[in-house]
Amino acid sequence: MGESSLQMDSERLKFALPVDSELKATELRIFSVAKPHMRTFHLSWIGFFACFVSTFAAPPLLPVIRDNLNLTATDIGNAGIASVSGAVFARLAMGTACDLFGPRLASASLIFLTAPAVYLSSIASSATSFLLVRFFTGFSLATFVSTQFWMSSMFSARVVGSANGVAAGWGNLGGGATQLIMPLVYDLIRDIGATQFTAWRIAFFIPALFQTLSAFAILIFGQDLPAGNFRRLQKSGEKPKDKLSKVFYHGLTNYRGWILALTYGYCFGVELTVDNIIAEYFYDRFNLKLHTAGIIAATFGLANLFSRPAGGVLSDILARRFGMRGRLWGLWVVQTLGGVLCVILGRVGSLGASITVMIAFSFFVQAACGLTFGIVPFVSRRSLGLISGMTGGGGNVGAVLTQLIFFRGSRYSKETGLFLMGIMIICCTIPICLIYFPQWGGMFFGPTTKEKITEEDYYLSEWSSTEKEQGYHLASLKFADNSRSERGGKVDSVPTPSDGTPPIHV
Amino acid sequence: MAPRLLAGSLLTFCLLAESCYGTVLFSTLQPTLVVSASPKEGEVLRAGDDKITVTWGMNQSFPVGTDEAYKQVKVKLCYAPISQQDRAWRKTNDDLSKDKTCQFQIIVRPYNSSSQQSFDWMIERDVPTATYFVRAYAYNSDGREVAFGQSTDGQKKTNLFDIQGISGRHASLDVAAGCFSAFSVLSLFGFLFLEKRKAKTSQKS
Repeated sequence: MGESSLQMDSERLKFALPVDSELKATELRIFSVAKPHMRTFHLSWIGFFACFVSTFAAPPLLPVIRDNLNLTATDIGNAGIASVSGAVFARLAMGTACDLFGPRLASASLIFLTAPAVYLSSIASSATSFLLVRFFTGFSLATFVSTQFWMSSMFSARVVGSANGVAAGWGNLGGGATQLIMPLVYDLIRDIGATQFTAWRIAFFIPALFQTLSAFAILIFGQDLPAGNFRRLQKSGEKPKDKLSKVFYHGLTNYRGWILALTYGYCFGVELTVDNIIAEYFYDRFNLKLHTAGIIAATFGLANLFSRPAGGVLSDILARRFGMRGRLWGLWVVQTLGGVLCVILGRVGSLGASITVMIAFSFFVQAACGLTFGIVPFVSRRSLGLISGMTGGGGNVGAVLTQLIFFRGSRYSKETGLFLMGIMIICCTIPICLIYFPQWGGMFFGPTTKEKITEEDYYLSEWSSTEKEQGYHLASLKFADNSRSERGGKVDSVPTPSDGTPPIHV
Repeated sequence: MAPRLLAGSLLTFCLLAESCYGTVLFSTLQPTLVVSASPKEGEVLRAGDDKITVTWGMNQSFPVGTDEAYKQVKVKLCYAPISQQDRAWRKTNDDLSKDKTCQFQIIVRPYNSSSQQSFDWMIERDVPTATYFVRAYAYNSDGREVAFGQSTDGQKKTNLFDIQGISGRHASLDVAAGCFSAFSVLSLFGFLFLEKRKAKTSQKS
């Protein structure tokens, strides 16, 4: 359902923002709603925000829900794990769906299809039904992938880290906002006259309705690419339809995708875990009121307003001076510091110290998420969606693992769980040292000097010569050219080889 | 008689000294009250519907004067050990300021040393499904616990009863949830259908 006034000839399209050769915006203007770039930006982060609100709507109300449904700590832990495990595969599927159908249809479909799980949360009556609704609601977190894919399609290499960081950060904000919204809505409904055990059920309609509305907005106002929607562009021949098997192959065989999937589990995964346990931690440990525990817990997620975008911006700033190597170092340092702060959080005993350390921890862990997605758009061009999906899915795997090991049942107190999780973060961040781009270098080594490998060599190696003959690789060629900025401050002009260079195995 | 008085006042003094330091430990409280609750062992009551009659009074086998300091009695509904399992938010802690065993207050009454008192309590609708017993704490004029009594034994094994909480669900909620869910799914298919139609018409033109 694209705008009917769009011209078929992409050169004649006029954009409100400055664009590069791929028609991607080279600037991020947050307060604009100009179509297609900024309008898409706002639609995509709002949709993602709605999904986060729904997925984490239960934790702040757990003190009421656990009594209503007679849950044990194990039941609660299992439901928390379920809430983040569905998205592991959903994110992979979403990545592929974006590559094939476009982020607009993919995200709106998912949001519409997961809204029923949120509505049906209001009629959960046992530990099992509670687990099931949290499981299916959690699928909606796959909208993260469509958000990142969409931003990577609309914004150029210079600002992609910032665009990804702000969109994802403001979406993740939902995890914090919900800790404020749900207790408030619950209190309001109780004041109107409902009993506790009915009030929380009615409260769930709010996130559910919000989700439904944002799906409508995405379908009505959204657009896949600066030039138009996938379907129309595919039918007109401007965008060739890619093959699923090829997308899979080039994504899954790129080891960088796997490493980022692992490390993302220890920034984003940890963030999800903390979203799930932090309200109960404050409520139970410091004997606070539900409302107060919710407010404190909210500050963790609300820090996303600045911290994740800051991570993305930092990634772009480091890239301008140091190129991709700067992005990699930035990620390692920030994520390791997040781990250190988590260790400290598990150790402090007073309310004031807990809150302070938690805020610092939230900043670093969320900035690390932003820094990760400053790197992801460069891992693959052909399988961008799949790599985003793998990384995103890896984030959820981290959430599942950390909740399973540290926060299920009564084995560890929440404080000890946090302490141990911090140690695991530090260890699982080390693999970033292993990421190496032949054209740009890695943390410890510069770009290959024996035979100069260029950006074109790297990205075009994803296409076979027959595909190149048919011109399928042209989008990747443009991207390679635009990604030259990842060499860093001391870029000297290198002649651009056209096709004919031998395929390089990366 | 004199040694008993001495022992009694020494004990009271110790308890007062304890309270001056802030924390009251449950293990220091004397079980001087006799408390009984109407439900029989294993009986299942419904929140919002059924009543519990609690009765409490001084255990006459203790020396006269033991209850001098008692000014107020609070009767509470407490979780039995089976309902505390794997639920850290209901944990028993010897420090009464941190103890979470008894989360529901049945009644507060001024202490009456001469006779037994009783109260009919309609089980409130926010009482969750669990196994319970009844405990009464006696407070002195400083508002500190000085004694207790409970309807079960020391190990909290006998005379436990169950309460079935309300579900909180209503038919109207069920219907609303169903309708909105269906609307959500149908909207998606509606949109997809419209898109396909538009793509076909734009191809023809």
